[in-house]
Amino acid sequence: MIQKTSWGVGLTAIFMLIILFGPWIAPMDPNVVDLSKRLQLPSAEHWLGTDQLGRDQLSRILTGGQMTVGISLMALGLSIMVGVPIGLFAGYLGGRVDWALMRLVDAFMAFPEYIVAIVISGLLGAGFFNLMFAILIVKWVGYARLVRSVVLQEKSKDYLLVAKISGAGSYTTLRRHLIPHVIGPVLALATLDIGKVILLVASLSYIGLGVQPPHPEWGSMLNEGRAYFTQASYLMIVPGMAIFLVVFVMNLLGNRLVEKFGSDRQEEGRDGITECS
Amino acid sequence: MQNKNWLLKRISEGILLLWIISLVSFAIVQVAPGDAALSLLRVDTVAVTTEQVEALRQEMGMNDPVYQKYFRYMGNLLKLDLGESVMTGRPVAAELSHAFPATFLLAGTSLLLTIVLVGIFGSLSSRFAGGWIDKFSTGFCLMGASIPTFWLGLLLIDLFSVRLHLLPAVGMANGGLILPSLSLAIAIAPPFIKIFRNSLIDCARQDFIRAARSRGISEKVIFMRHVLKGSLIPVVTILGVSFGSLLGGSVVVEVIFGLPGVGKLAIEAVTRRDYAIVQGFVLSIGILIFLINLAVDLSYRYLNPAISLKEAERQ
Amino acid sequence: MELLNVRDLKIFCPDNRPLVHGIDFSIRAGEWFALIGESGSGKSISAFSLAGLLPNGLRREAKEIQMLGQDLASISEGKLRDLRGTDIAYVFQDYQSAFTPYFTLGKQMDEVMQAHRHWTREERQKKSWDALNEVGLEGAEAYGRYPFQLSGGQLQRAALALAMMMEPKLLIADEPTTALDAMSAAKVLDLMARLKNEKGCAVLFITHDLRCVRRYADRIAIMQNGSIIESGEKRKIFENPQEIYTRNLLASVPPLHNVPRRLPIVGEDFLEGGALCAATRNA
Repeated sequence: MIQKTSWGVGLTAIFMLIILFGPWIAPMDPNVVDLSKRLQLPSAEHWLGTDQLGRDQLSRILTGGQMTVGISLMALGLSIMVGVPIGLFAGYLGGRVDWALMRLVDAFMAFPEYIVAIVISGLLGAGFFNLMFAILIVKWVGYARLVRSVVLQEKSKDYLLVAKISGAGSYTTLRRHLIPHVIGPVLALATLDIGKVILLVASLSYIGLGVQPPHPEWGSMLNEGRAYFTQASYLMIVPGMAIFLVVFVMNLLGNRLVEKFGSDRQEEGRDGITECS
Repeated sequence: MQNKNWLLKRISEGILLLWIISLVSFAIVQVAPGDAALSLLRVDTVAVTTEQVEALRQEMGMNDPVYQKYFRYMGNLLKLDLGESVMTGRPVAAELSHAFPATFLLAGTSLLLTIVLVGIFGSLSSRFAGGWIDKFSTGFCLMGASIPTFWLGLLLIDLFSVRLHLLPAVGMANGGLILPSLSLAIAIAPPFIKIFRNSLIDCARQDFIRAARSRGISEKVIFMRHVLKGSLIPVVTILGVSFGSLLGGSVVVEVIFGLPGVGKLAIEAVTRRDYAIVQGFVLSIGILIFLINLAVDLSYRYLNPAISLKEAERQ
Repeated sequence: MELLNVRDLKIFCPDNRPLVHGIDFSIRAGEWFALIGESGSGKSISAFSLAGLLPNGLRREAKEIQMLGQDLASISEGKLRDLRGTDIAYVFQDYQSAFTPYFTLGKQMDEVMQAHRHWTREERQKKSWDALNEVGLEGAEAYGRYPFQLSGGQLQRAALALAMMMEPKLLIADEPTTALDAMSAAKVLDLMARLKNEKGCAVLFITHDLRCVRRYADRIAIMQNGSIIESGEKRKIFENPQEIYTRNLLASVPPLHNVPRRLPIVGEDFLEGGALCAATRNA
């Protein structure tokens, strides 16, 4: 019941709207410091309480969403823009180009994503662009491999041969025939990936390697709240909850998309009962 | 004996890989901005003059041409000398070997916990496919995959340490490994559970299972011997990949729970620009991953004897 | 002497659509009983249902399935399991799936013996080797092989060896030769006939190939769309088929002499039998 695509799409849309318009929905300025009001519990005036500098939590959450999700979307978008063309070339051209590019992919995949992101963003220093660069380095490989395998699959089919005979050039073939097949799986992977990237951004910011204070961002909010953990645990619960909910919804949508377009099409019949036609 | 040839081949591939990794870790540090000499001198928050920085740089050999640096680096590597930590002054190799046991302990207990979770949820979900436990398991997997590991850790600390005073928040003693392992296990178990469940269902549907049943073999033996062995291959496949996320996840978990492991060390090194440690860390992770992949391939050959036998026949 | 007596056997889909509409038949001890029909007629699932081997979701109902003083329709699963592999043995159409691919033949033969009897390891090994030798395989060698190392014919013979090893009273063979080449098929059939005579077991032989039936069967029954439309002594039916379907079936086997220019199409309603459970499509 909760697995229906319509739920996933609907919830995602709602969340996206809230995140997009967050700063404008926010009741107060997220950066206004008021030390007289620090660490207040949720009240009528401050729905989610205040943080250690007296800033309104609710406004910070609403503004922070733009940062967290925005950065993640941009980083993912970059990764797709880099990974997909590489995959297309590798798959379509084949031969040595393919071999070389795949060795490159293997080299990148040899290390855990997380550790590479930490090392790179750590070495480059904290900050917005370094964070995106680190994520790009880590994520492009997934798309390159996916697109390449789709291209290889389609290459073996006859319609491409027919197109070639009718005189279609490489560019046209790629554009008209191959790219439509690539869009679905890439979309499915991206929706699943966005959750992972959001977690990555939040984790890096939590360690202090991503977005720096005072910019509100869910991960760094958790970082700032670390010291006040024992006194005011809600400081920690709220941003984490926000991250969890957004990632949850994206994963929900992503699971359904993967079932439609993805490589594991053997989802039917897995309830252990033989179907009667 | 076939396996020996294959093993040799893999090991030589591994040596090549290690060389590439050493190259990469060398390159990263050369390219990275920030000045190790400056960091080192700044540790005492005493004002430093540019002459002092320059002198230290000369002494550390940082102004030498690249190839010289590289040869020095490789030479040291072969002597198993990874340099010295800028933060503590002790040899990197010593720091790393000091820190690895904690990480291994964490990884070990997390893996154990994961196996328990996957075993229970996977088998129950496949046995009662479509039932409430299957649905619960799916929901659990979705949540586990969506929750930020560090947040989960913090929540657990809040609940079990701060409020209930049952388990320590920091360190390994007094059951201090329980909460971090639980956080990690919940994070990495979901894809395993799903794959194991599907694999069990597929395998149980196979005709040869029906053949075994037709001979009067008990359901228990059929499951434990026939179905299980066939289902493990897909699980083992992602084991190699998941080890990467285990390592990655353990980094943050170590920081949160104050475990003196390699991850915590690496994060400190990265933020304090202790390049020697970062280099050593990258190298050792590379070796570790290679060994894990080797072990995964070996277990493939055990689970499916067809692989090594078919190889032999081809020769 | 009657070995098996089946009365009013019905099989239903999960959505309660009937696949087998209450069939009756009986098998005498030591005889070769052939159950004939096209794909989808319900012959295979009827045979599977006897020892409770229906795939998930299919349901069986029967007034009684009498065998050796027990009613298979109502005994417990444990007792049924005791019968499987000992008194009732199966040989399947797909020889590849007769054995679990990642265990050796020997191990699987051992497993059956361990499940039912308390023989020592030497006794078990000897029995396995003897059984394999009896079907024309090198016992000692085949024992240590994996299924993928044997050819189709060899595998089917090994499956037969395993089935007969426990001296069953009834051997249920579901199209055992359909997937084999003519030479291997002939070998397997001859083997089955010989073993049947030597050990005195009955054979329930399921097939759509009338040529095997003509040579080996004692009594036959013809199934169409889940019902038995004709049954009796082989000779009687071959010489004097009552139903049109039977007549067309018999006529469609091309003879060696006087080959007609066209073979008859067997009954308009054979196409209707198409709406079946996915499980039986491969039957």
